[in-house]
Parts: sequence; C-alpha cells; structure tokens
Amino acid sequence: MILQTRFFPEQASELAWHVDNIIWAISAVTGATGLAVYAVIGLFCIMYRRKNPGELGYAPTPRILGSHKLELAWTIIPLIIFLAFFGWGAQIYNVALHPPADAPEIYVVGKQWMWKVQYPGGQRVIIGQNSLDYAKEIGGEGYFEGIMVLPVNRPVKIVLTSEDVIHNFGIPAFRQKIDAVPGRYVSTWYHPTKTGTYDIFCDQYCGTNHSLMVGKVMVVEQKEYEEWLEGKWKTGPGKNSVDGSLAHQGRQLFQKLNCIQCHDTQKSKAPILEEIYNTRRPIKGGGTVIADENYLRESIRRPRAKVRDGWEPIMPHFGPDKVSEEDLIKVIAYIKSLKKGETPVRTEDWVAPVGGTTEPPAAPKTPTGEGGPK
Amino acid sequence: MSTATKHEAHASNEHPAHSAHVSYLKDGWSIWSWLFTVDHKRIGIMYLVMLTIFFGVGGALAGLVRTNLLSPTGLIMDNDTYNKTFTAHGVVMLFLFLIPSIPGVMGNFFVPIMIGAKDMAFPKLNIASWYVWMVGASFAVFALLTGGIDTGWTLYPPYSSRSSHSNVVPGVFGVFITGFSGIMTGLNIIVTMHRMRAPGMTWGRLPLFCWAMYATSLIQLLATPVLAIALTLLMVETGSNALGMPIGIFDPALDGDPLLFQHLFWFYSHPAVYIMILPAMGMVSELLTCFSRKNIFGYTAVAWSSVGIAIVGFLVWAHHMFVAGISYYAALLFSLLSMFVAVPSAIKIFNWTATLYRGAISFQAPMIFALGFLVLFTVGGLTGIPLATLGSDLHLHDTYFVVAHFHFVMVGGMVLGYLGALHYWWPKMFGVMYSDFWSRIGAIMICVGYVTTFTPQFWLGYHGMPRRYPNYPAEFQYLNVLSTAGYSIQAAAFLLIHTYLIASFFTGKKAGPNPWGATGLEWVAESPPITHNFEATPKVVCGPYEYSLNMTQTGEKADVR
Repeated sequence: MILQTRFFPEQASELAWHVDNIIWAISAVTGATGLAVYAVIGLFCIMYRRKNPGELGYAPTPRILGSHKLELAWTIIPLIIFLAFFGWGAQIYNVALHPPADAPEIYVVGKQWMWKVQYPGGQRVIIGQNSLDYAKEIGGEGYFEGIMVLPVNRPVKIVLTSEDVIHNFGIPAFRQKIDAVPGRYVSTWYHPTKTGTYDIFCDQYCGTNHSLMVGKVMVVEQKEYEEWLEGKWKTGPGKNSVDGSLAHQGRQLFQKLNCIQCHDTQKSKAPILEEIYNTRRPIKGGGTVIADENYLRESIRRPRAKVRDGWEPIMPHFGPDKVSEEDLIKVIAYIKSLKKGETPVRTEDWVAPVGGTTEPPAAPKTPTGEGGPK
Repeated sequence: MSTATKHEAHASNEHPAHSAHVSYLKDGWSIWSWLFTVDHKRIGIMYLVMLTIFFGVGGALAGLVRTNLLSPTGLIMDNDTYNKTFTAHGVVMLFLFLIPSIPGVMGNFFVPIMIGAKDMAFPKLNIASWYVWMVGASFAVFALLTGGIDTGWTLYPPYSSRSSHSNVVPGVFGVFITGFSGIMTGLNIIVTMHRMRAPGMTWGRLPLFCWAMYATSLIQLLATPVLAIALTLLMVETGSNALGMPIGIFDPALDGDPLLFQHLFWFYSHPAVYIMILPAMGMVSELLTCFSRKNIFGYTAVAWSSVGIAIVGFLVWAHHMFVAGISYYAALLFSLLSMFVAVPSAIKIFNWTATLYRGAISFQAPMIFALGFLVLFTVGGLTGIPLATLGSDLHLHDTYFVVAHFHFVMVGGMVLGYLGALHYWWPKMFGVMYSDFWSRIGAIMICVGYVTTFTPQFWLGYHGMPRRYPNYPAEFQYLNVLSTAGYSIQAAAFLLIHTYLIASFFTGKKAGPNPWGATGLEWVAESPPITHNFEATPKVVCGPYEYSLNMTQTGEKADVR
C-alpha cells in the first residue's frame, strides 16, 4: 500500500502550482524557524543542565529580566514575514476567486450524497450517488456513477449550489475547494494543466454518506472533450454516452423509433450498426459504399436506395414527418458513437416500427406493409 | 520588578510554621462536606475528578475513531455510528474537558492562593458553577448516550436543524448550560484578581499564570454569550422543525442564512481555542522559570501577549470560513488579522526560549511537559500560518491538515500544559509526591505518542484527505495506520500516568510545602493548604520569579523544602 502512494500529490491545474509554491515556501520558512528554536532549546538544555541533577531548589543563576531590543526584534520580524505570506496568499486567492470572463460555465449542484454536473450544451453527469453498499467496495470497479470530464489547458468556470445542506466541492489535484451553500450560487474556476483522473471529495460534513459523496474528474485533450460532449467518446468501456449529448438523445430516439427492433444483436433482422461509421460496406447489386453521414441519412430517409448486401429490404422509411432534421442529426450522432458491444439489449419483441413504408410516397412502385410485424 | 532586598523581605515575613488548622482535605470527611463546600480548593478537586472521567471518555472515543480508520473501508463502525462517535469525541473533549479544564481545576485551586487570598470573591457562585456545569454535562451525556448526535461539534445548519435526526436539541442545550458555568468561573476569577490581591501583590508582581487566567476569563465572559445566542437560535430552528412549525433562521429553505450561524459560532469558538491554550501558556511560564531557576525573560511582554491574544483573538473568527462563500474583502481582512494574532504566540515562544539561557535546568516531569509544550505548540502554531494564509487554505481547509494543526495546539499545547500543571501542583494539592522515574517516562511517552499520532495527519491533509470520513481511498491507509499506532502510545502513557498518580496516594512520600524550591505564594502555604490557605495574609515583596535571588514572593528563602 505504500507503493500505491505518491510522495507528492498530483499537480493538475495552474492553481495547484501556485498553491504548492506558497505551502512549501511557508513550510520552509516556518520549518527553518521551528528547527532553529528547537536547536536553541536543545542547546540550552544541554549547556545549562543542572550539574547535580538529583538536587532541586537553589542554584546560582544570573538575574536576566529581558531585553527590549531582542523582544522588539522578534515581534517585528515575524510580523513582517507573516504579512508577506498574507499578501502572497491574498494574491493567489484573488486569482482563484475570479474566473476569466470567457470561461464556459459548468453548473454543479450538491445533494445528499451526490453531485450533479451540468454542461453548457445540456450534458449532465451525476457523480457520487453511492449507496451504502458501495462502502464495502470502495476503490472497486463500478464505484463511481459518473465521471466529470474537463478539457486540458482551457479554463472552466464552476457555478455551485446545493439542494439541501452545505457541501464542499474539492479537488485536491487542483488544490481547490469551495462550499456549496444552499440558497445561493458560489463560483470558482479551474485551469487544468495535466490529463489524468483525479479525486473529487466532499469536504464539508453533510451526514451519513459524507465520505461516499466522492467521485472522479477526468482531464482530457480538447478533441476528446468535444467528442465526449457529443457522446462519441465515453469515459469507460461499456458506458453510455454522457447524458444530454447528441448521441445520448439519439440513443433515446433509437429506442423510441423502434430501430432497435431490427438493428439489435440477438435476433438481427437488419445490419448491426456498431462501428460502421466511415467504413466501407458492400451493397446489394455489387459495389461498396462508405457509411458516412450522408449514407446514414439516406438509409434512414430512403432505406431502399442502397441496401446492404445480405439483408432484406424491410426497413420502413422515416420522412421528415417522423424524424425531423434535428432528430436525424441526433440519431446519426448515436450511430457514429456506437462501439462494439454497445447496442442496447432489446427488451420488447414484435413492436411495430413507427416509420412509414419502406419507400417514401414519391416512389409509388414500392410495396407497402413490409415494415409491420411479421 | 521588585528591588526589595532580602533583608526587608525577611522582616515582613510571618512564618506560618506548624499551624493549628487542618488541611482543606481533612476539613470534613462526609460527602456533604464536599458537595456543599464553598472552598475553592475542594471545588477545584471536584472539577478534577469529573474532568478526568470525561477525558477518559473522550480519549476512548478517539480510540474508536482511530481504530475505525485502520482500514480504508472502515474497520469497526458503519457510517452513522462513526459520525456519532467523532461528534461525541469533539463535544466531550471540547465542552466537557478542554474548556473547563485548567480554569476549573487549576484556576479555581491556585488563582486565589497565588494572589494571597483566602478564597474566591464569590465562593457560592463558584460551587454553583460546578453544579451548573454538571447539569449541562448531564444533558450532553444524555444526548450522547440515547442515540448520539451526528452533526460534528461544529453543528452547522441546515444539516443540524433540518437533516440530522439525532439528539441535537438536548446536546446543544447541554452545551448552552455549560456556557453559564464558564461565565461564572470567568467572572469570579476577574473579580477575585481585582479585589482580593494580598498587600504588595501589584499587577506587575502577578504570576504569569494569573495573567493568563485573567485573559482567559475575559474571553469566557465576553464570548460565551454569543455562543449562547447561536445555540438558542439553533435550538429554535431545530425544535420548530421537529414540531412541524418551522421557524427559519439559518435554513435557506426557510429564508434563513446558514453563514449567520457560522459567524456567530466561530465568534465564540475561535476565542474558545484561546480559552484552552492561554492557561496552558501561563502554566509553561511557571514551569520553565522554576525548573531553570531563572526570572522569566520579559515579564511584561509575556503578560501582555496573553491579553493581546485575548483581544485580537476576537477579531479573527472568519478565518474558519475562507471557502464558505464569504466575500473576497472579508476574507482579506480576516486573513490579515489572523496574522496579527500569530505574533503574540511567537513572542511567547521566543521569550520562553530565552528564559532557559544560562539557567540551571533540571528535568523533572513538569519540566519535560513544559519542554514538550514548547516543541509541540511551536508545530501547532506554525502550521496555523498556511491555514491563515488565503492561498494555501484553499487547499488545506477541511482536510486532515486542519485536524493535525488543532490537535497539536490543543493536545500538544493545552493537554501538555494541563499535565504539567497537574504534576507541578500535585504535591501542593494532595501533599504527596508521585514516582519521579515513572513520571518522566510518562511525560516522554506522551510527547512521542503525540508526534506519532498527528504528524502523519499533516501529510494526509496535504494529499487532500478530508475530515470526518469513516472510509477513504486506499492510498491514505499507511499514514492512518501510523497515526493509530501513535494513539496507542498515548493511551499507554495516559494509563501509566493515572496509575502512578493514584499510587502516589498510597505509596508516595509526603511532600513539604515547597518541594520544587519555587517562589510563588502557593509554595509558602502548607502542602496541602489549610482551608483558608494562609495562617495570616501574606505580604508580597517582590515579583513572582526571583529564582536567581532564591526568594519567594514573601521574601523567604525559596529552597527551604
């Protein structure tokens, strides 16, 4: 267990560097002073120990009553040093309190015993929400419900409040913490400088599961961050896209529109869509096609245009009356995000797709009804 | 300082020889002669008995906390039990041990003797303060035994008023009542010191322990009412919530302000830290001078730094709230003021160190405690600097760094001062000596135990381990195990100390009036003192620490045992 422990804690934000500097500067100055005092005490204790230690009472000693000069010196010098620390610390605190004007705002709401994080684009993460059972498996897999993701080298502003009692949102690797007070917003900001995964602790006692109101923040490259916001990149194997992302909404549509009835992995009646994006696929009647956004779009709007080789053309078409352009973007984002083994498990059998016939009305030759239940 | 010559001193002395009066211990044997006593010494002993019990309880609770933290998943308790245990540890140690400890025991017993008085100014108020304290303690103990409190000793609403379904109201009521006891004792000591000093005992000749007790009493008198206000409002909100007719004071859901409570609470609770540490500081001045046979270095500076701490200590409370959402300018102001309160402590440390210069130092147990205080309190004081500095407090706040800091101050500082006082005055209080050998071993063990327990916690805090966690990430384990190991050393040391102190009643050799060859008025009195302390009112001829002249404050030779 000693090997697991870093000697110095991780420094993952710009502020961490400043805070560590002042902590170590104070430690060095006070440590040196303390050791000097100890050395003098130790020296005096040895030099001026009683020659006849068994005895008590009178021993000849000089009558020294004090020295105003010395006392003035050790009043003023510490005061100057303390004031220097005050000024330096105030400067760091000032920086920590005032975010740059253009930093995107991320809202964090504390609640016994979880954190709800909301991103400007509507994405949501819940951190903590750990039940009592999790106390037994701290550090184990599945302990954290969600992971807060932040981009590296980009300042973000955190606006914080609480739904019930006072909490404290603290990230030691960023050397930063602030109370989440119910009934008001407080704000802070981070400028992460190092990719990695770091602890989030609740630092203000908040009841039974105070110690389980913990989670992780993951600092990633800007590109990964954007992909994560869209839902393409996920924070762990088998995890869903972040709540509120395009892909996450697309996933909901994928189920709502009953795409899952055929595009599933158990009784597939249509191609499995995992990892098909931007790959070359054979189509009926020879030739291949690259499954890019336009092909995916066409296959939803006009499923018979280019049918994948090896599958029956049974898919109903989904016109703008069924799937708006906005929804289409979401569904495509979801398909783009689908990784191996991530297709949802179908829970209901034989439900009719909500789309229309397999061809839009503009193509009258198309037989109808094939999209219905078999 | 007095320049009275020895010659004059002897002339004015009335030697209390072998008196016809019996010692306070033998003045009545029935239980009622104790329970209805108005003798400040007996009241001091009654505080000592109760405080020893509460200290044992608080220490055992600390043992449970440390045992649970041996494992990252919590070794012996579920979360709720742990929360109640650390709260009980805090409440018992703070309100039932630390705050009444030195004022209750040594303040009561020795302030009147040290200023040459027969008793306190208000003897009946004095015994009343013990009973009031016992009533408050009973409420607190009742609350802790019948389900406990899970809010932490800081009792922050809205958690305590809305969310906690534990015994908040009876517990808070108990603390509320103990506050009155502190006010009574403080008032008594202030009036006693103003009105009852022996002839010649000018303010400039007061022992520094008395100065420290004066400063402490000022704080108790002025700050405790604010705690009473905060606790009353908290009881109103909590109680009205429980009755289903919520009255909002601190809870934002009821249009209250949670920061208001924190301001009121820390307005008392920060000065309360000085209630705990100032008497110990006064004690250290007594011990260092006695065992190095020296005058205190800079009497005036040491005396006024106590008063300075008491006054400036009132103006720093919001440094507990730097990350609580107070305004930037408030934070700046309180950080600045906190820097000023650090200076008097620094002055004391330097003056004490200078006191040792060219002394004749002997290392009996009280001196080892005093030197231990110097070492440990220096750590506690210096680690307060990064917490008072805004930039570093951002990271260290509410972590184990804070826990380590205040334990170094309260345990390493205050408890060592208390134990030093107990060992120094034990022969005076009971007329017997304890084992010299075992007491030195005990004192060294205590210091080693403290360092081992609390030093790892600084490192834990710097790594970010939050306070009040029953379970924690695995990487923090080895430091926690080390800390618990230190606790075991302390526990063994406390058992040892209690053993040889109790054994001294049966096997200890009888102590003369002045076993240490000290100069204070208390050493002119018999050991143990007679009920009215002195056969005749002593006449004070010089300052308190004329060790180089070998002269007590009445002008006798100090090394007559």
